[in-house]
Amino acid sequence: MKKYIGKRLAFTLLVLFGVCTITFFVSRVIPGDPASMWAGPKHTQEQLEAARRELGLDRPLLVQYLDYMGNLLMGDLGVSIRTKQPVLEEVGRRYAATFELVTVSILIALVIGVPMGVISAVRKDKAIDHASRAFSISGVAMPVFWLGLILQMTLHGNLGWFPLQGRIGSMVLIDHPINDITGFYLFDSLITGNWPAFFSSIKYMALPALTMSFASLAIVTRITRSSMLEVMREDYVQTATAYGVSRRTILYKYALKNALIPTITIIGLAYGLMLGGSVLVESIFDWPGLGSYIVLSITRNDFPGIVGSTLVFATTYLTINLIVDLIYFFVDPRIKHPGSKG
Amino acid sequence: MKKSILILVLVLALALPGAVLTAGAADRNTFVFASYGDVKDWDPAIAFSLEVFMLRQVYEGLTVYNTPGEKPLILPGLATSWTTSDDGLTWTFNLRKGVKFHDGEPFNAAAVKYVIDRNKKLGKGAAFIWAAVKEVKVVDDHTVQFLLKYPAPIDIIASAQYCAWMYSPKAGEKGTDWFMQGNAIGTGPYKVDKWDKSQQTVLSAFKGYWGGWMDNNFKRVILKVVTEESTQVQMLKSGEADAASLIPIDSIPGLKKDPAVAMLTPPSWKNYMYLINVKKFPTDNLKIRQAINYACDYQGVIDGVLNGGGSIPSGPIPATMWGHDPNLRIYDFNLEKAKKLVEESGIAKDKLKITIAYIGTSQVYSNVAQMLQANLAQIGITVELLPGPWGTIWDKAKNLETAPNMQSMAWWPTYPTPSDWLIGLWRTEDKTLFNLSHYSNPKYDKLVDDGAAAEGLDKARAIELYSKAQKILVDDAVAVFYADVNDQAGMRADIGGFIYNPSYNIARIYDLYRK
Repeated sequence: MKKYIGKRLAFTLLVLFGVCTITFFVSRVIPGDPASMWAGPKHTQEQLEAARRELGLDRPLLVQYLDYMGNLLMGDLGVSIRTKQPVLEEVGRRYAATFELVTVSILIALVIGVPMGVISAVRKDKAIDHASRAFSISGVAMPVFWLGLILQMTLHGNLGWFPLQGRIGSMVLIDHPINDITGFYLFDSLITGNWPAFFSSIKYMALPALTMSFASLAIVTRITRSSMLEVMREDYVQTATAYGVSRRTILYKYALKNALIPTITIIGLAYGLMLGGSVLVESIFDWPGLGSYIVLSITRNDFPGIVGSTLVFATTYLTINLIVDLIYFFVDPRIKHPGSKG
Repeated sequence: MKKSILILVLVLALALPGAVLTAGAADRNTFVFASYGDVKDWDPAIAFSLEVFMLRQVYEGLTVYNTPGEKPLILPGLATSWTTSDDGLTWTFNLRKGVKFHDGEPFNAAAVKYVIDRNKKLGKGAAFIWAAVKEVKVVDDHTVQFLLKYPAPIDIIASAQYCAWMYSPKAGEKGTDWFMQGNAIGTGPYKVDKWDKSQQTVLSAFKGYWGGWMDNNFKRVILKVVTEESTQVQMLKSGEADAASLIPIDSIPGLKKDPAVAMLTPPSWKNYMYLINVKKFPTDNLKIRQAINYACDYQGVIDGVLNGGGSIPSGPIPATMWGHDPNLRIYDFNLEKAKKLVEESGIAKDKLKITIAYIGTSQVYSNVAQMLQANLAQIGITVELLPGPWGTIWDKAKNLETAPNMQSMAWWPTYPTPSDWLIGLWRTEDKTLFNLSHYSNPKYDKLVDDGAAAEGLDKARAIELYSKAQKILVDDAVAVFYADVNDQAGMRADIGGFIYNPSYNIARIYDLYRK
């Protein structure tokens, strides 16, 4: 087991190195001159050349690359050309915001999707199955941007239940600031007992998380349903029923556990997709996350921003997939990892 | 059972705060401004963009440019009066007494000298506005002198919204990195409380402000980062924001009808144009350039694309800016004239192909380009549209090998002067920066250089020279000037004291009050 994890970690580092290198060189091929962004909106020729020197863009590309990688190994991701702030601090802060949002979205998708999938499987072809199918299909088909705007208009505009945009109330940020421990507002405010901030964060997260969870919710429901159906047809389920084991026990203790394997795979993929696709939700709700950060970095030729964000995304994706693979092991002892005994 | 409890907890978690907290709505004394971006350059010597939303509340300059049409042209700011020598090379400013910076340091002539010297030395942002200054001399604590290399209107320059803000020398010593952490030390009515990156900047009243405080002044300002235009509109309508900075043109008619919103669209100093490449075939031919000028549906652009948010220009200088010449040649929308000019050019029909580059993400630029493309097709000119991001198209336009025939451009002055257009856009450039017409005319260069020198001394003569220069540009058809753009000032109807001033991208919130 340990050997397996060790090998996976080494592989992860190799992939990250490759991602860094490729992103570094590709970002420089995109047309556009970041020096002019650094120099300001209406700059003179001298200011442009001074900016180029200041950013080190007048040095040979290989030198710039080695310089960047050297700094990277020491934990310095450089300074964003677009915002002039250190990339590590910015990416860290925005990453926490996106990760928090995505995690809550996935939780919503699970909490609603799994039971719905189970119910649909159990009551196959009944009214509730059809309803959940319609719901799922619309969830996948609906453009995220449109859904977000609709939720904003109805749940905020008409009903006034939820706020319009942002991560937390303006006044709460002023009067009850959150101690920055992990960067996750919910967690930090909870452990410091900052209740106004905690409840404000939940309120502000509701609409973005709901918007983001829709597509995954739909997929989780369908996958759970179909794998439940498969499992329920298995011999051991028939046997257990024959023995008089209660329906509930059969469903949740025996069937669901086995049906969850595909669902767990989906969650791993969903995390990756959501992290990458968060920019749309972040734009609508002004969620200060990494999705909008990386899009802005790309469109403004902000090399340090691009490479820094890509690095973080890649690391997350690789880590989550590693965790998903490890979870398989616990959920289904039949899946053997090389190097494990049994 | 467990599921139901979970659901119950979730529902309570969402509903309870709604009941307990009064939704954190800002109080009457707080002004909420929806900014389309976060503050980037905190150093007032470098800032050259939307930082002015914050700068104008926290800092002050020596002078203030009055609302155009009002007298006097320049109002006192941190300077109470000023005089010029006869040769225009020495400006003496008398400074306001008893003014303190937010850090307790006194505002005096030494501070003025420090700021100008540091801004020039850094040479970043809008530092070029001080190019005429040879030396700043401290005469005494409250008298400072500007010694110039050549005559220049220092009173106007000191009112600029960039690079002219007075900041504490102690703060300047700490350097740009210190500013970049979200620090600001000015003499203005508001000081910076905190900066929640990517979310908001909070300012609160500076108790020791020399202008004093009244009951109805706003005591707190929140500059909220709201990047989505549609969200800004919603916030303005609901009252969550007292003012918005980026309202889409399509929303303006609706907001004008809303009684809770005061939506103004006053004329500004911003104009839109196509810079025509005079060195690239076939636009190197004067008749073709003039033909293009006659082929633009000016009224159609104003009505259809800008929704009435602009006016048809005459020449490169917007109508509300001093130095504008109303007697320039008019190119009106006349396809017959245009066709005739195309024939007179003698260029073969199949060679009449041009390219137009513009910022692709802008609905306005896209629509105007497509309209022009359709009109030009009618006079036999085929247009290839080249949309793209600004960084890319600007890069291409600077080099003659990759430059298009026409480059979409928007322009506005750093401080109020026609030379910003005339020199910035059409003066000969060895290495092209903004002269994307690639225009080089020594006679024109001399006129604008002399005009700029005359500005500080003899305004009337400057206007005369600028007129001659504008005439050359229009007769040479170096550009299609298609819109003097209206600004947008969207505010809640219960905000009083607002007078639009095109010199500044934001009002002084200190001057506003809630009715």
